[in-house]
Amino acid sequence: MNVQRHGTDAAPSFPGIAGRAADTDAAARIPAQNWKEITDSGYLRLFHPRKIGGTGADGPAQVAAMEALARACPSTYWSATVSALLCANLISTYGDHDTHARLLDGLLSGRLLAAFAVVETSAGSDAGTYRTTVRRAGPSGGGGFVVNGEKSRITNAPDADLAVTLARREKGPGDDGPDWCLAFVDLRQPGVHRYEIPRMGLRGMPWGGLVLTDVQVAETDVVPVPLDELSEGMTWGWLLVSVAAVAIAESALAASVRHARDRVSFGRPLAHMEGVQAQIAESRAQIDAARLLARRAAVERAAGRSARTLIAMLKIYATEMAVEVTARAVQIHGAGGVTEGHEVARLYRDAQMNVIGAFASNRLREQVAEAMGLGPAVYRAFDWLRPSGLGQDPVGLGGLSQQAEAA
Amino acid sequence: MVFPHSPGELGAEPTPDEQVREFADRVARPTTADRDRARRWDPALFAELAGARTGPGLAGPLVPRHLGGGGLSAVRTCALLQGLGEGARDPGLALATAVHAVLATVPLRVFGTARQQQRYLPRMASGQWRGALSLHQTQGAALAPAVTVRSAADGRVLNGELELVAGAPEAHHFLIVADELGGGGRTAFVVDRATAGVRVTQTRPEAMRTCSWGRLTLDDCHVPDDAVLGTPRGAATEVEPLLAALNWVFCSAPWLGVMRALTRDAVDHAREHRLFGRPLSHAQSARLTLADMATRCELAAVLLHRAAEQFDSGGRPSQRDAASARLFTARAARTVIEGAAGLAPAGVLTGGDGLIERAHRDALFLATAGGGDEVLRPVIAASELELG
Repeated sequence: MNVQRHGTDAAPSFPGIAGRAADTDAAARIPAQNWKEITDSGYLRLFHPRKIGGTGADGPAQVAAMEALARACPSTYWSATVSALLCANLISTYGDHDTHARLLDGLLSGRLLAAFAVVETSAGSDAGTYRTTVRRAGPSGGGGFVVNGEKSRITNAPDADLAVTLARREKGPGDDGPDWCLAFVDLRQPGVHRYEIPRMGLRGMPWGGLVLTDVQVAETDVVPVPLDELSEGMTWGWLLVSVAAVAIAESALAASVRHARDRVSFGRPLAHMEGVQAQIAESRAQIDAARLLARRAAVERAAGRSARTLIAMLKIYATEMAVEVTARAVQIHGAGGVTEGHEVARLYRDAQMNVIGAFASNRLREQVAEAMGLGPAVYRAFDWLRPSGLGQDPVGLGGLSQQAEAA
Repeated sequence: MVFPHSPGELGAEPTPDEQVREFADRVARPTTADRDRARRWDPALFAELAGARTGPGLAGPLVPRHLGGGGLSAVRTCALLQGLGEGARDPGLALATAVHAVLATVPLRVFGTARQQQRYLPRMASGQWRGALSLHQTQGAALAPAVTVRSAADGRVLNGELELVAGAPEAHHFLIVADELGGGGRTAFVVDRATAGVRVTQTRPEAMRTCSWGRLTLDDCHVPDDAVLGTPRGAATEVEPLLAALNWVFCSAPWLGVMRALTRDAVDHAREHRLFGRPLSHAQSARLTLADMATRCELAAVLLHRAAEQFDSGGRPSQRDAASARLFTARAARTVIEGAAGLAPAGVLTGGDGLIERAHRDALFLATAGGGDEVLRPVIAASELELG
């Protein structure tokens, strides 16, 4: 068949990291060599303008590089991109380029690793339940602030040097500023306790909790931020996760294609079976749809437009799509696909993590619905079915008397 | 609905699809339900849509300007068809327009001789002459050949019968692919309706009722050698792959508009429709459905845009990407229609302008005519597997 390819199957440009992906997953640790290769590649600087040490890649180039790294190793991608894209963007957007140059330099050079500390042990996407606080230190605190609280299920928490921490501000009299802040917390100090959390996928990625007990932070590193505005910055996280999902799906499809061409069953390669072809075709169309939407979103974003709703849509679709595509890949691979250590088994586990990370799908659907003009979510206690006559089983053909006898 | 078609473009000048949407909303939509019920093709309405001066020039957007057409890009043409689908809320009318303006036109633009182009394209672009073809012939030779051709002393002789010919009753000419008797291969022809041996019988399929349909019978139909379109015996590498890709992209484009219209309606319905004593829009499950409907629109849009853009790039458009666009759009349309039906009050399903009912019926046609899953998926898979 005369086919021209149109560049949707970008070859990974991180072959060393790709070659270590299985070991990274098995050892639950990103090798030091991965960090060296990422830093040397210039990946960490792509997302930022030159004035803060970046290389200012355009939207499509950013997405292409992100996908290439995520194709190589989703765990490494998550860790590096949370730090260099999400956290550095938050510092760059809400911090001060001069004051925080030391942080940005560190993140863009790979010298520092950052975590975005939002989720708490009993709080997910509902900000109203967050408990971590920032308050002014006492007279002995040197004019700074202290942070107290526990952040949980945080990427990079076990290894990070720095946490961009969402916290409530304890406001003094006359302080009419925002109730929330981002605190750029140095994690290499007393009062910081870390722990790892075992999880289903992305096992190579550092992931766990931070217990912060009277952890000191300078006044200049506490930036009051209205929560609405902060959610705009968090949109970068949705884009990050979406690209991870696209890459995982593409890797699963590539593995499926290889297997379908190689594996002979009932006298013919799987590739000649129409059912297998159908699965591959469905995956190709779905992956392309998500990737193209990601590129469109990145262009909008790089042009300074919010694209928040578009990226919410992308995150919903791309992450659930990747679960579907990896499930198909497992099926095409048969028993191999459910064997520990197999690439497809790892991708299947990794794909599930993206659905939940950085706002779960249904929370994002709520946000999309709101953007469609439906107003904010309206919750009502579930006590209205019985009065409607539908909350009980009907009487059978024998009538009420028979019911009474049976009772 | 507050959500813009293309986030970030709010406040900009009306885009081509918005202009066509407004025009179609004004001139076509008021009669759509009646035309659908009566299975009526409205030539005056088509003339209004075709008019380049007074209307959007939908008859010849892809005909070059020097031949009287709009000289528009494939991307912009796709946008116009999307706007038509959204404004007219009429999949049949949009299909008829796409078949004439794209499927019957582009092969002449691409493979036609100078004489063929000068004879047909200006009159097609003005809407004076309608071009028609069978949608069965827009999936390569997946189906058994229905028309044969043999050589004769005075040219070529065509025989056979084609069903599902969109625009046949009003057509001035037909684009036909015929199986060569003796020697193999297939050849494309442009055959005027006035040719002896051409017979058209009007048909009335259950779906796409506002398009006009017919059966084309060719009975020892003698055509001159210059009726051949492209290389003799070369249809398999010229007209056939082009027709398939054109169908998969441009006949899908109006459905993006239909999906947007359904989604917008569904938002209104969810606000108005009360269930268990409160607006349905307060139910989380309804809100999640609406979000998915809007998301499907954006996903189909980017796939269609990519496939259309490839026609403008100067290279060969990817058959895989065209097939992916159709496969995804047809799926998305069914998802959106089901969502819309689930959120609509009963009165909307049994009355109103009937968009949900019409779309539900016609989406099955979209998912099968010109190549259903069993055609599209092998095309996509062949590219991935480097087989086929």
